[in-house]
Amino acid sequence: MTELVESLLRGLGTGSVYALLALGFVIVYKATRVISFAQPAFMLAGAVLVTYLAGPLGFWVAVPVAAVLTAGLALGVERVAVRPMVGRPAFVVAIITLGVDVAVRVVVNGFIGLDVRHVGDPWGLRTVTIPGTGIDLQQRHLAALLATTVLIGGMFAFFRYTRMGLAMRAAAYDQEAALAMGVSVGAVFALSWGLAGGLAAVAGTFAAAGASVDAALWLIALTALPVIILGGLDSLPGAVVGGLAVGTIQELTATYQQHAPWLGGNVSVITPYVLMLLVLLVRPYGLFGTREVERV
Amino acid sequence: MGRNRPSGTGPRRIAAATVALLLCAATTACRGGDTETDASGVKTDVGVTAEPCPEAVDRNKGCIYLGIISDLTEGPFRALAVPITDAQKAFWKRVNTAGGIGNYEVDVTRWIRDNKYNPQTHNQVYQEMKPNVLALAQTLGSPTTAAILADMKASSVVAAPAAWTSAYAFEDVIVESGANYCLESMNALDYARQAHGVKSVLAVHLAGDYGDDAAAGAKLAAQSLGMTFNAVKTDSGADKQAGAIQAILTGRPDLVILTMGPADAAAIVGQAAARGFTGRFIGTSPTWNPALLQSAAAPALLARYEQTAPWDTYSADTPGHQALRQALGQITPNDGYTSGWVWSYPLKAALTKAAADGDLTRAGLLKAVKSLSTVDYEGMLPSGAGNYAAGPNDGAVRVTAVYRPDRAAPTGVIQVRPLTAGPTATGYDLDRPCYEKL
Repeated sequence: MTELVESLLRGLGTGSVYALLALGFVIVYKATRVISFAQPAFMLAGAVLVTYLAGPLGFWVAVPVAAVLTAGLALGVERVAVRPMVGRPAFVVAIITLGVDVAVRVVVNGFIGLDVRHVGDPWGLRTVTIPGTGIDLQQRHLAALLATTVLIGGMFAFFRYTRMGLAMRAAAYDQEAALAMGVSVGAVFALSWGLAGGLAAVAGTFAAAGASVDAALWLIALTALPVIILGGLDSLPGAVVGGLAVGTIQELTATYQQHAPWLGGNVSVITPYVLMLLVLLVRPYGLFGTREVERV
Repeated sequence: MGRNRPSGTGPRRIAAATVALLLCAATTACRGGDTETDASGVKTDVGVTAEPCPEAVDRNKGCIYLGIISDLTEGPFRALAVPITDAQKAFWKRVNTAGGIGNYEVDVTRWIRDNKYNPQTHNQVYQEMKPNVLALAQTLGSPTTAAILADMKASSVVAAPAAWTSAYAFEDVIVESGANYCLESMNALDYARQAHGVKSVLAVHLAGDYGDDAAAGAKLAAQSLGMTFNAVKTDSGADKQAGAIQAILTGRPDLVILTMGPADAAAIVGQAAARGFTGRFIGTSPTWNPALLQSAAAPALLARYEQTAPWDTYSADTPGHQALRQALGQITPNDGYTSGWVWSYPLKAALTKAAADGDLTRAGLLKAVKSLSTVDYEGMLPSGAGNYAAGPNDGAVRVTAVYRPDRAAPTGVIQVRPLTAGPTATGYDLDRPCYEKL
């Protein structure tokens, strides 16, 4: 039982990172109807920024500063590479984001250098024991879960209670109608990219907490792709639920895969994709995605 | 539209294209394939020119071009690969300054390419440089080199590897140095039994020649020493180690043998220790990076990890190590430099022998490699190392050193056992690549 609960908690910690990344994907998709493949690069850029800023500023200041700087980078990319493509097929814009991802990562890799870098988080690999249970929980997983909860709460409040949040929801629902009502769709696009960049930076930091930042860190962001398909491409709750579900399933599989050795030694790596396929068989638009109805 | 073309145009175009192709082929052959004889009577073919090297010390000498294919930008071993490459540039510069190879100097700067640790990319850049180089001063990685090995054998392209798989002992075109992963793991188990009383072993390894070879060595040694043995394959990526960590925690072996990149190794050691694992870890030489001492896994690494290595670390006191440090000047010590330097000695010996034999063609160089019975490593490996003429088993180098992390050491590790051949590795008959026995 202890092993099961510890696995679940580890999974929630890892899943929090996936959820933050997936939120970024979904926010951009809802605003622009484009899947931004630049998210992995923003995640890597944010984590690398923290490795540089944590020394002079300290970890707690470095993370928000890196998130703001990464949001600025994302805004710049949106303005230079994506905004001119408004009105073009979504597929074309998605391919452009793929190019942006490669370009940004090449530049960021130059800042990583040869050795692995560290975000300087205060948790390391230390654990806390939940009183009276004997259940150990890694501090970094707890921190990731708390940070994700706070950020998600802030995001939902923003969309629900602010004028800009309302404008973003309106633009996501019907861009032309929103334009007609005076909503600046350009500002919505820009803010979406900025938010996605900031979330990716925080996700990258937590992905590297207790571990290292190297050029391969961006690969973690690819797990967010099955998460958003699983949760529903245009669903913010779907991104959160999908991220946490994928994290816990992955961790549970790793813990109990010994009972099915015929599956190989590292089957947990493919579980996000298996889970996605299983969900799509039953719900083709994901768990919380909007069913598209077209007249024929 | 084709129907309106004047009759006869098609055949004329085909004929013109055929002539152009033949001319191209002939030009290429003249440039890169025909055997020529220089003024001093030395035969040459590909990658050897009468013109001086781009950065020649003596502009009256010709140039031998050697290629380097390494993991220079984004692959998992770039922290080792870049210093390996820098050390090789320094090595051949030293050779040139000392008079070169016969009437030639050696260039390893014109054809340096990045393989991103990807076999397809490796083959692509190899094909690109192949018409222009005599041999390869470096081909980094076991799985990547496997992608070009058949072509190398067919074209007699000799190469110094940046890897230690036991398969290289069976390949004439590869001039390997030091104990292979298989023998290194055997030495690791001999050491661990003696130093830590180890009775059970788990090998956590990447798939392919690198990981499989080390795991096979551990398996063969465990069988020989009466230890229990298990193996689990893992993937590259610090986020992909959950299965391996769980296997360690479930099996609770006395010793875990690691064969992967440094970030992966740190993730496994750190997280397994954080979840209560109290056994030992020994990683093959590519698992170490001094920057890991700043990671969250540092306390676990300091307490539970040791590294095996096929030669002494950067700060050792042999003539070869001294020459290495002198050639590189002020750099941050890293054993990538040591490895790049050591790996270059056999190719230098083979080129010197081929030049002395008057045959610097690819075939001549391969013949020289096969005839080498010793290589002067300037004390970096024991005397007798580099006996390619003796065959895989008799020529194999079987010594391994053991290191442990130490914050005060220049490369972050300090020696706990000097280069030693354990009884298991000494008695092992290397009759085929070890990974075939996993």
